[in-house]
Amino acid sequence: MNSSNDNSVRGRDGSGGFVEESLRVIARLPAPEGLEERVIAGVRAGGARILHFPAALRPGSSWMRGAAAAAIVFVVAGGGWGIYSRVQKPQAAKVISMPVRVAAPGGFSNAGAMRTPNTLNGPVVTHPATPKTAQAGAAAQTGKKASRKAALTGPGKTAVQPVAAAK
Amino acid sequence: MSASQAVLAGWMEIPNSAVDELARTERARVRAEEETLAALVSEYAGTLYRVSFSVLRNAADAEDAVQEAFLRVLKHRATLDEVRDRRVWLIRIVWNIVLDRKRRAKTRPETDDVAELARVLPAEGLSAEDRAAAAQHHAQVLKCVETLPAKEREVLMLSAFEELTSVEIAQVLGITESSVRSRLFRARNLMAGLLGRERQ
Repeated sequence: MNSSNDNSVRGRDGSGGFVEESLRVIARLPAPEGLEERVIAGVRAGGARILHFPAALRPGSSWMRGAAAAAIVFVVAGGGWGIYSRVQKPQAAKVISMPVRVAAPGGFSNAGAMRTPNTLNGPVVTHPATPKTAQAGAAAQTGKKASRKAALTGPGKTAVQPVAAAK
Repeated sequence: MSASQAVLAGWMEIPNSAVDELARTERARVRAEEETLAALVSEYAGTLYRVSFSVLRNAADAEDAVQEAFLRVLKHRATLDEVRDRRVWLIRIVWNIVLDRKRRAKTRPETDDVAELARVLPAEGLSAEDRAAAAQHHAQVLKCVETLPAKEREVLMLSAFEELTSVEIAQVLGITESSVRSRLFRARNLMAGLLGRERQ
């Protein structure tokens, strides 16, 4: 099966042909006795699972048919349930309408009174204000009077009018 | 029985004759596959063994590799009809297996090449001493081959098989024919250098 190209591939190497010779010795080694039988036996043993279905899985077995039917039912039911569970349900209204009160015939009316919700409790003061002393109160009063007087006279006015004094 | 019931009954009930026919067809198919495989084994087991041994250098490992190759063939038997050159295809399978095994066995201590070669080399017309010397010589050369870069080494090893042309070597390695030639040229030059250094 060698082509003419082969000769150029298998030319003499620079190592005096030692390498090719050694490699060829190995390449020409005869296969050991009984190799084929051993390989076939090994392949049969190893490939038994590949070649043959187990007896229980043969297409004719009755339980296999039952299992196939059960699998079909399971798939169909599962598919139906999947579709059903994905359907959007209408959401419940967020506003609750109050029922209209109808006055009982012959009973009391509410006379237009409107129900008001209970007011919330006021804030609770945790730290009460400290009481002021008498002196501090008097000083505060004096300060207030002085500031009011200054505001009335203004910055340009004086208490004594010079023009009036000349007349 | 309504029409729909009849259809349902017909669908559910497979007649026994049809089941028997299916089983018979299945058995015939399996038998045909076994025969094809047996024919492939008897035709190519020797070649595959030599390819395996050239890389693994161990008879038992080489035999295991051949067996694994045929198991892979069995797994991919559906594509067997599409294969154009079964010999090259099988060699390619076993080549990948042995390279993978060799890579994994790197951490394992190297087997004694000399002893294994002395055991398997043909011994006609050779004394025990000559045989031992030849084994020693070949083991030394093969040790040098092992030091080559993987690409060059692979081409050199496959080129020793007279049953493989350069085109087929290219197909096994998945490269072009010109790459095979250039790699082989480099491999020979490297080997010449290595052996020259050894002699000095």
